[in-house]
Amino acid sequence: MKAFLIAFGVAVVLAGATGAQAYHRFWANCNYEAPTFMTTMTRDAAQDYANAARYEGYQWGGGCWNYDDADAYPYDAPGDPSAHGEGGDCSGLTFKTWRESTDEWRDGRYYWRALRNVHGPYTAGDFKNGLGAPNHVVAKSTAGVMDAFASATHIGMIFTRSLYGGDQIVEAKCEACGTNIFYRTYRSDPSYGGVARWGWTG
Amino acid sequence: MRRPGIRSLAGGAAGIVAGVIGGIALTSTSAATGPPMPAVPGLDAVHVPPVLTRPGEPVTLRYAIVCAPRDDGEPCDGSGSIYARAGQSGPFGRLDLKRGEDSGEGRYFVELPSEIASSRDGFSYYAVLRDGTSGATITVPAGGETAPQRSFPLRDVTEIALGVHAFGRDRAPDERVVAAPWGSEVGEAGLAGSRELGFGGPSSFDVAPDGTVAVLDQVNARVERWSHAGVKATNVEVSGGLADFALEPGGTMDVLEPPSRMTPAPVLRSFRGDGTPRWAQRLSDRTWAKLAAGPAGPTVQQQPSEQWLPVAEHGAALGQAAQAGRGRPGRPFTNGREVVVERIGAGELRLAELVGNAPMRSWRITSATPLGEVQLVEPHGNRLVVVTKTYTDDRSDYLVLVLDRSGIAASFAVESLEWAESAPLARFRLAGSSLYRLGSTRAGLFVDRFDVEVSR
Repeated sequence: MKAFLIAFGVAVVLAGATGAQAYHRFWANCNYEAPTFMTTMTRDAAQDYANAARYEGYQWGGGCWNYDDADAYPYDAPGDPSAHGEGGDCSGLTFKTWRESTDEWRDGRYYWRALRNVHGPYTAGDFKNGLGAPNHVVAKSTAGVMDAFASATHIGMIFTRSLYGGDQIVEAKCEACGTNIFYRTYRSDPSYGGVARWGWTG
Repeated sequence: MRRPGIRSLAGGAAGIVAGVIGGIALTSTSAATGPPMPAVPGLDAVHVPPVLTRPGEPVTLRYAIVCAPRDDGEPCDGSGSIYARAGQSGPFGRLDLKRGEDSGEGRYFVELPSEIASSRDGFSYYAVLRDGTSGATITVPAGGETAPQRSFPLRDVTEIALGVHAFGRDRAPDERVVAAPWGSEVGEAGLAGSRELGFGGPSSFDVAPDGTVAVLDQVNARVERWSHAGVKATNVEVSGGLADFALEPGGTMDVLEPPSRMTPAPVLRSFRGDGTPRWAQRLSDRTWAKLAAGPAGPTVQQQPSEQWLPVAEHGAALGQAAQAGRGRPGRPFTNGREVVVERIGAGELRLAELVGNAPMRSWRITSATPLGEVQLVEPHGNRLVVVTKTYTDDRSDYLVLVLDRSGIAASFAVESLEWAESAPLARFRLAGSSLYRLGSTRAGLFVDRFDVEVSR
């Protein structure tokens, strides 16, 4: 009985510490279902998907959100993947919006629903370099709707171009910024390159 | 040390199992603030209005209808109508949008009849778009028939061909008026971010008529003013996001904040000169590009309307409907003048100066090197000062053009030094005959001054 009580006490303390606490934050609501293989992938459906992630927050290393128009954990420590808060990060949002596979060699279309917790294998820098079978580098001046601009530290997708020559960018920018549409000038910024997804069907 | 017995081991194992279950259960209970059930994201729209057209140019109006993502992954079941007219007044006629196969430029479109598109007085229109699944509708621009999109013909246009830009021939500034190392002391400039996430510095600035340079140091929640008398800091309650900033006559300070984790819509905050808040007003649209002090108060270039909407008039904030009902295609200046800007394709820039709804002068600039964003377009006497960016995939310069009716009166290039991020169209300000530029390096922030009084 003494051994039971000691082990019980230690286990309660450990289970209540960071790991389980993190597990039971927003990610406890997420799932790990298989994606739906798709034969289509249109730019406006991608606009719908990314637009719906607006207001849902930012999580470094994350890729899971709902559609309640609020960040469940808006004050997570920036840059801490163990916070397990709501939202994607910049590359996670792009990966899911672009319907990519977790296998870098696959270039098919995989529809990940919002609560499916997946970030994908790519960093912003990977996207910038066109890594992965579905991705490729494009000239910035030719980048169009739902193509993207990526730097070594960030990636945002082109929601649409704009009258003054900048772009409305849908992006998971930072913990304090959340995920939203912002007017940006990445197109002319030398630290950003143009990147696109192969396989749009309309 | 005594070897443990089987009962001790069994008891310990049972304790661990029970403890883990108990610990998780306790943690679950204490953090049981699960998210609400998913809601349906709102209807949104995308449209880039052709605000300046060439004579005889066919006009196709294109829209993207952005709705809640469908479970089958397909795009919206949308529809809509355009209400259009030749000229700038009178009744609108209805044209139904067609649904195309490609959504790269907007799936829903209508080709304007030539009697509207080629009207000598231009044309005006608005759209009502519908999501067939939810039944929701959205009007673009939000001002509808009260403040429709307005398009004007480029008549007697001054054509300018820039050719290929030569990088590395940048003009040195006439004066460095601010040099502030990164930090939080008075005279320093706040820096946020990290090497992993990127850096953001002071996001905007403005210049008072007496030459005082005011920098919005949102990282340190203050405005710093540099003058010949030294540096002064005034605290302001701002969120810390990359905001735009404008000084109004009389010292009122306007801070245009982006959406953030807690305020999903952009907000314009007005402060007295001493930093005390006057009011805060939500913008009509979801996104902003640029803030400017208009003749009657602050005005903001917004999306999806792509219009300049006043956010206050004579010191009083305007509600969202009042903003939308006053939308105009160009930035307003004194004496009823307005400047309309349209960047097209990779390297074309169209500009026109209006008085009311009458175009007075217009320019069409083409460049063999791609053009980026238009940072500034302002009348300067009988000339127009334009600052735009020209770029390749790995280089960029700012291009300063002083235009008159015959073409380019003066031009020079400015090196783009932007180590830290700022608000998108807040890098340049024109005050008198001086052009000021906000820049940054690894060492800190600076503001440079360039004299634009250069004769042909």
